[in-house]
Amino acid sequence: MEKELLEQGLNHNRRKFLSRLSLGIGSVALGSLLIPDLFTGKQEAEDGLMRALPHFAPKAKRIIYLFQNGAPSQLETFDYKPLLTKNFGQELPDSIRAGQRLTGMTAGQSSFPLVGSYFGFNQYGESRAWISSLFPHISSVVDDLLIVKSMHTEAINHDPALTFFQTGAQVGNRPSMGSWLSYGLGSENANLPAFCVLLSRGKGNGQGVYSKLWSNGFLDATHQGVQFSNSEDPVLYLKDPNGMSRDQRRKMIDQIAALNEINYQEFNDPQITAKVQQYEMAYRMQTAVPEITDTSKEPDSIIKLYGPDCLVPGTYAANCLLARKLSENGVRFVQLYHQGWDAHDNLPNQMIGQAKDVDQATAGLITDLKQRGLLDETLIIWGGEFGRTNYCQGKIQPENYGRDHHPRAFSIFMAGGGVKSGMVYGETDDFGYNITENPVHVHDFQATVMHLMGIDHEKLTYKHLGRRYRLTDVHGKVVKDLIA
Amino acid sequence: MSKVSRIIPILENFLFFWLGLALVLSLAGDRLEIPAFLQVLGRTHPLLLHFPIVLLLMAVGFLWVSDEKLKKIGAQILLFGANLTGITVVAGLILANEDYDGDALVWHQWLGVGSLLLSVLIYFFREKSSLFLRTTSATLAVSIILTGHFGANLTHGDDFLLAPIRSEEIELVTLEEAELFEHLVQPILESKCIACHKEGKIKGELRMDQLAGLQKGGKNGPFVIPGDLDKSLLIQRINLPMEEKEHMPPKNKAQLTEEEIEILELWVAAGASFDQKVSDLTAEEPLFQLASNKFTTQKSYGFEPAAESDIQDLNNFFRKVNPVFPGSPALEVAYYGISTFDPASLKDLKKVSEQVVRINLNRMPLADVDLGFLGDFPNLEELQLNTTGISPNQLSSLEKLRNLRNLALSGNQFKSEAVATLAKLKQVKRLFLWNSGLNQTDQEALRKALPETKIDFGFDGKGVIYALNAPKIDFETGLFRDSSQLIITHPIRTAEIRYTLNGSDPDSVSSPVYSGPIWIKKTAQIRTKAFAKDWIGSPTAYALVFREGIKPKSYKLAFEPHTRYAANGATTLFDGVKGKTNHTSGEWLGFTDTALEIELYLDEKSSPQTLDLSLLLNESAYIFPPESVEIWTGNQAGWQKMPETPTLSSTKLEEVRFGVLSYDLPKSEFDKLKIRLKPISKLPSWHPGAGAKGWVFVDEIILN
Repeated sequence: MEKELLEQGLNHNRRKFLSRLSLGIGSVALGSLLIPDLFTGKQEAEDGLMRALPHFAPKAKRIIYLFQNGAPSQLETFDYKPLLTKNFGQELPDSIRAGQRLTGMTAGQSSFPLVGSYFGFNQYGESRAWISSLFPHISSVVDDLLIVKSMHTEAINHDPALTFFQTGAQVGNRPSMGSWLSYGLGSENANLPAFCVLLSRGKGNGQGVYSKLWSNGFLDATHQGVQFSNSEDPVLYLKDPNGMSRDQRRKMIDQIAALNEINYQEFNDPQITAKVQQYEMAYRMQTAVPEITDTSKEPDSIIKLYGPDCLVPGTYAANCLLARKLSENGVRFVQLYHQGWDAHDNLPNQMIGQAKDVDQATAGLITDLKQRGLLDETLIIWGGEFGRTNYCQGKIQPENYGRDHHPRAFSIFMAGGGVKSGMVYGETDDFGYNITENPVHVHDFQATVMHLMGIDHEKLTYKHLGRRYRLTDVHGKVVKDLIA
Repeated sequence: MSKVSRIIPILENFLFFWLGLALVLSLAGDRLEIPAFLQVLGRTHPLLLHFPIVLLLMAVGFLWVSDEKLKKIGAQILLFGANLTGITVVAGLILANEDYDGDALVWHQWLGVGSLLLSVLIYFFREKSSLFLRTTSATLAVSIILTGHFGANLTHGDDFLLAPIRSEEIELVTLEEAELFEHLVQPILESKCIACHKEGKIKGELRMDQLAGLQKGGKNGPFVIPGDLDKSLLIQRINLPMEEKEHMPPKNKAQLTEEEIEILELWVAAGASFDQKVSDLTAEEPLFQLASNKFTTQKSYGFEPAAESDIQDLNNFFRKVNPVFPGSPALEVAYYGISTFDPASLKDLKKVSEQVVRINLNRMPLADVDLGFLGDFPNLEELQLNTTGISPNQLSSLEKLRNLRNLALSGNQFKSEAVATLAKLKQVKRLFLWNSGLNQTDQEALRKALPETKIDFGFDGKGVIYALNAPKIDFETGLFRDSSQLIITHPIRTAEIRYTLNGSDPDSVSSPVYSGPIWIKKTAQIRTKAFAKDWIGSPTAYALVFREGIKPKSYKLAFEPHTRYAANGATTLFDGVKGKTNHTSGEWLGFTDTALEIELYLDEKSSPQTLDLSLLLNESAYIFPPESVEIWTGNQAGWQKMPETPTLSSTKLEEVRFGVLSYDLPKSEFDKLKIRLKPISKLPSWHPGAGAKGWVFVDEIILN
């Protein structure tokens, strides 16, 4: 009995207690084996992704963004302002300009004479939307369009404005819209990149585009936009070299992947995995891409629909046709850029050329998707990075004038993909200078586009350098009025 | 030592083991990845939990009494009970990683872990004092009961315990059924207002718990005045500043959200009806849009989701099978890659035939594939079979698909017989038949047979005549020595290309037809056009190729070219390199302030007959043809000015292009030449830079 009491006492001394605690620590270690990512942040990112995804079927599955780089004038296209024609040459009232900053190109001008559109306007379709005579084909599909006349942005020069539209920030290094969607929704077709980029250039005054616009930023490199070459071979070096068979190519890729795997085990650098995936995709693209880029089987009616330039590689029309083919093959985001809209002078002439480049092919793309039953699930966006001033830059003549950059109000249009059709949204004042109704900020536009794709723009975030980033930064409201 | 007393230290050690494991599992939360065999352990939780409840409650009972003997038994029961609590808690934490969530889980989990901790503490410190023992064991009992309660809520639902004495019903309202007042407005009043405006507590003499009360209004007047926001008391009160006494709901009560205020305002503005349906509003009305966000429009499906593993098995590089959105039981299927398409793989879809609502087989070669299996997808809503080469008789099984709404058959070459097959598909709401071989009569017949269906026959291009685009002229060099090969192409392979080499405009009848590369032996202006049936002839494409000429012995420029466009000085003009259409390429000499004035000294025997001046023209960049051209031939007798040296003129802004000024030189003997090109001194009035000086750009001077 005494012995037992003694044992009881011994059992409960501090040392015993502490040594038992060590058993508890052991079980902590055992338990932690069940948490593979205890020391990494990976899981958080994946959870974030799941939170951002919809609990309803998204309206749009794919986007074709027809970016009109250089900023087409809203006053010669969709924003009809007869007052400017009536008051030709009169000074822009200070009450309208209200201290708006100007670019270095017109800041030195002593006078800001108003100038109206050289091109006439007409009302079209059931929506009776005003469209200028520059766009006869686009006018014919007006009832499929949602024209937003009340876009506004923060930047006043091309590069920051373009970067802002594409990445949600004026400085570079953030992921592009297509990269965010690739990250959020992944690829539909595993044999093609989720984000493709096509470039063309009109004869008008041009502004460059840079690969930072389709950069993956801090997202995984697999979400980067893949730029297609505007030559006969949209994707270069797809063919196997002479003397190399498909089997040999397969073996080579497998061997390289094995070597990369060894490196990955050693360094744990996710770039290595991205590289392996890119080799693998390149291998599959070898069969997938030629099927898509082959236009020889397109019937005559398609060539008439897009215009004969659609068979000339590198033209906007050819890119529209290619965009349809990529999109119907499951590419999530096809980004076109058409350069040459920066008409600081000689605007009527430059716009005739630019409009000729894009009018028929844009309308053709909309009609083509529609007749295949694909327009409902494909969102088409057409527009530039800002608008142009209602006053003339340089010498003013009714048939020859220029317009400077104008961020306060400009027009874009969308079609398909769950947006309302046959509608004009927003209004500007009689001078076409300020928005009077339903302003849509670039971040609102981005939030709305994400929403159409079924993504909550506030929840699709990525943690980088200690903070969570999103396409819309800390702004943006979904414009429900635009959604069908 | 008895067997029991030997097992006690082991069990005591185990208590710490459970505590540690429980701690780490609960802190890890949903970052755990549980292997399947441990999931089985987790699922024993509902079985195990009954033991600790009984044992711990029993132990508490024993410990509560003052009899030492019973206390000792109680301690041993507590030890067993605490160990079983440990197993149960660990199992529970593993199970929690399956499909559990919400407040009840949090409470259940932490109370469970708490109970474990408490029982271990009680076990080791039971000798401290009887007050300690009694309070802690009572707490333990309460904690166990609460844990059990929340656990039961988890499995049986929140209201399980009290449900029989409650009679509330929560119904899911669809947009179609929703009523403005009943489903949009009333819930707001109920949650934020009714507590003070109901039978027994009728503040301001306004009763909100019955329609009559709302219609009657309160002591200050009617509740609302339909259509009048300013005069309606409801709207006035909710919009008063917080400090105002009249502000509703009162300061310390739950306030209306922005959206709720918006709904109330819109309801009043729209007429404050008590019996209008949301679906009666037009889609543009903001109230409808607000409502459409609140009520479900989502179709619910009557079928169970497919097994996750089945879906995963079906996904590969060429076939995508996905829920239409995360969590939906409905699936969509898409095939990609024509060359890798295997018709046999379509049979794999059988596993998920109930769940598939969309199939995209666009472009897959299905010409001889038996599509009868499509009839096995009872819930199929959308089927895309564009450009698959199918014939109508392959579509007979579609008749069975009662839910089929969208059918895309564009780009398949059908014949008139197709109308009979398609006419049976009355359930289809939208039918896409672009480029499907049906003529006008067939189209009319089909429209008649399917009056409810929206049929899109698309754009056939018939009767639409556009201009062709210009052909493309390719040549290696614009300045050749002996001969040069010209290749003309047009993107439309069937287009006929005609050309001329003498500078005249080609026509569709007499100009030669291009049939292969053309060899040029002398300086030529190529003009070419394309023609095709159903198209307007193309604009003219134009190119200039020069045959290299006689090199002068020496030459000298009277004035240097402009410093920015000096290239390699005068040698540039005789280097045999044709400039590109870019005046900054370093192949052009540019003049604006001074004329291009050059003297050439020739070999006596050379006696050239022609002089070509190769120019660049780009009005937008102020580059014009020269205002005047003067040419002198010379010998020992002196300079002799050529009488007629016409220049070109520009009348409008045109795109950048090459130009040429050609002159026949006099037959008389000469051994030197002087050429003077004067840049345009004042740009014409139609030019944006009217009045400014123009430029002249020349890259080659060619003598032949």
